[in-house]
Amino acid sequence: MEKGCSGVGLAKEQNDLIDQQGPGFVITSIDKLVNWSRSGSMWPVTFGLACCAIEMMHSAASRYDTDRFGVFYRASPRQSDVMIVAGTLVNKMAPALRKVYDQMAEPKWVISMGSCANGGGYYHHSYSVVRGCDQIIPVDIYVPGCPPTPEALINGIIELQKKIKKRN
Amino acid sequence: MTDKSNLILNFGPQHPAAHGVLRMVMEMDGEVVVNADPHIGLLHRGTEKLAEIKPYNHSIGYMDRLDYVSMMCCEHPYVLAIEKLLGIEPPARAQYIRVLFDEITRILNHLLWLGCHGLDIGAMALLLYCFREREDLLDCYEAVSGSRMHATYYRPGGVYRDLPDEMPQFQANRFISESKVKKLNYNREGSLLDFIEDFTNRFPARVDEYETLLTDNRMWKQRTVDIGIVSPERAIELGFTGPMLRGSGIEWDIRRKEPYEVYDQLNFQIPVGVNGDCYDRYLVRVEEMRQSNSIIKQCVTWLRDNPGPVIIDDNKLATPKRSLMKHDMEALIYHFKLFSEGYTTPEGETYTSIEHPKGEFGVYIVSDGANKPYRLKIRTPSFVHLSAINEMVKGHMLADVVSVIGTLDIVFGEIDR
Amino acid sequence: MVRKKYKQLHQLLDQYLTSYDIGQSYDFDQITLEINKEYLYEISKVLKETKQLDFSMLIDLCGVDYLHYGLDNWETQSVSGTGYSRATLKTKNTHDGSNNDQPKRFAVIYHLLSMSHNWRLRLRIFTGSKNPPSVDSVVSIWPTANWFEREAFDLFGIDFEGHPDLRRILTDYEFIGHPFRKDFPTSGNLEVYYDEDEEKVKYRPVSVTTRPTVPRVIRKEKRNK
Repeated sequence: MEKGCSGVGLAKEQNDLIDQQGPGFVITSIDKLVNWSRSGSMWPVTFGLACCAIEMMHSAASRYDTDRFGVFYRASPRQSDVMIVAGTLVNKMAPALRKVYDQMAEPKWVISMGSCANGGGYYHHSYSVVRGCDQIIPVDIYVPGCPPTPEALINGIIELQKKIKKRN
Repeated sequence: MTDKSNLILNFGPQHPAAHGVLRMVMEMDGEVVVNADPHIGLLHRGTEKLAEIKPYNHSIGYMDRLDYVSMMCCEHPYVLAIEKLLGIEPPARAQYIRVLFDEITRILNHLLWLGCHGLDIGAMALLLYCFREREDLLDCYEAVSGSRMHATYYRPGGVYRDLPDEMPQFQANRFISESKVKKLNYNREGSLLDFIEDFTNRFPARVDEYETLLTDNRMWKQRTVDIGIVSPERAIELGFTGPMLRGSGIEWDIRRKEPYEVYDQLNFQIPVGVNGDCYDRYLVRVEEMRQSNSIIKQCVTWLRDNPGPVIIDDNKLATPKRSLMKHDMEALIYHFKLFSEGYTTPEGETYTSIEHPKGEFGVYIVSDGANKPYRLKIRTPSFVHLSAINEMVKGHMLADVVSVIGTLDIVFGEIDR
Repeated sequence: MVRKKYKQLHQLLDQYLTSYDIGQSYDFDQITLEINKEYLYEISKVLKETKQLDFSMLIDLCGVDYLHYGLDNWETQSVSGTGYSRATLKTKNTHDGSNNDQPKRFAVIYHLLSMSHNWRLRLRIFTGSKNPPSVDSVVSIWPTANWFEREAFDLFGIDFEGHPDLRRILTDYEFIGHPFRKDFPTSGNLEVYYDEDEEKVKYRPVSVTTRPTVPRVIRKEKRNK
């Protein structure tokens, strides 16, 4: 039981049957509720760097609307819970990326979009490119493509939703 | 008396109005900008250095990724430069296809520019309208090359393949019924040219919609009239090209002055501004969209009437057809040599430029006779335009800086390369 | 029609620049002037201010490093018994960078445009044997040159005398080296990573190597007459 949790709905006298089922179905239900609300309203911080940013904008625009998934872009990292790194990460930009990531509040997730953010991509052999944004920040979901179509990005967002729902 | 000093403000690399990764260190006296120093290089990927280690055709994809909102217009000068070095000319049908896609790309660019400029200034719904049109044009890109954005469609000698006879169509599934899908597919029943023709018929009404929203709007005018004024003489000194130059009143368009491909056979007009402020540049770009629409119509008519080859016959430069390669020995040898080593260009250097939607986009290739370029220099319009920002925002307020960045129409892939 | 226009430009250049020792060449429909770097400022003034020439716009300014010009990885005149091994780490026939003072190593290329006469010109200035290579700045003649010269300084190390604010523009803030020089490796020397203990972004030596998978081959093709 987490310290400081609300304790709403907890039975004080533990029923034997419930005890044998592990942490208890009440806490699992609270977990499920919390995960559902977290995954249903993921607010990304706008971190478009290069071409993938355009496809990210397309996925938020008229035809592939991500707002129906609850995804609504916020400019400030302090108000967001997911960061979609869209585009090539360059050595000069890496400290700024880390700063923005550090400013996000827990729980936070990262989607690495496009082959440049996944592993350097088309610019892998360049002297000024970071070979994958996972050198700088921990990544949860990698979306391949150059650039990934909006459908692929939405698939990545759904995979992240599934990942969040499994968490406890 | 308290000491008063100017505030140094960092308009950071992550900013919704920064159009990518722009970092500006601004010295402000209250709300008024005294000095603005842009820091670029936050997207410097070393394209020119990477191009020196790859054969010519492998670098066409790098050109797409420079100005990633107008992709094929960036491939075009590179391909033209290689053709100049090789001394070849693509067939007429290829030239018309290239002009068609250049103008489609010009509309793509101006739509994104309008959407983002509007979003920055506050007209947020405009973004959704502009992107609705963009989706149709990206479907054209996808039909012809397989990729929505980075097409790698232009090749030295022509274009990769001919326009398809079928458009990809929407499919019915459990969320969309057959009747709805039929309505969505009404313009995709024919070939790509039919789809583009339908687009050109619908587009002027759409541009009228955007103009209704903005052109006589008091708030838009207050945000853009008399902001970022550049006189014609200063524009030439600063090296402006494209709509930035034409907005200040100078009639200079490479499509007219140094015609390339088939622009000398097409009928179109060049809009020119008067005052050199953000509002004039907005009007110039909107009118350019209409003119591009009419050019596309002319190209579609020509392409319908004139079938033919879309790439030169010389197999030492252009790959032979794949079906031919499967059973013909010479074709197989050409295919092998082209894909393992590539063609070599004669020794020399050339600078080729085109009228890119943002300005003059030029490519300077130095060749020493090898299959890879010795030096590739890309001259991009946004690099030059951004260097003038200090002059353009001095004395304006912070909110006007956003207007000026929008009117410069900059994209960081181009600036930092 | 293009040739006639450039004949006229060729004659005008001969007329206005006779006192300077310049080399003119005409290739691929473009005139290139090779100038001695001492006369760069004066010649630029003549080109800009003479009404008949009127090169009012500087389109491009770039640096070129001619160190590896004409060098290749693999030579074949006829059928060979050995192929090109993709496993080679070093390219053969390269020079190291110890000859910065080679007089014809670095050059600065200027592309000029005259809008009133609709013609273009290319200037090539070799930086000479000074180390670091240096050339006069033309910012006072064409203000566009400001950022172009900063870029050439950043990527090649060419010093522009008289430039108001010469500092790095494209590469990282404390980058060491000049990336576009031919002796600078494509993958660079340092790469960036995040150190969990110190909680900051740090640099370490690069871990990838770039091997040429397609050899650089120079062929004198018969079609390139």
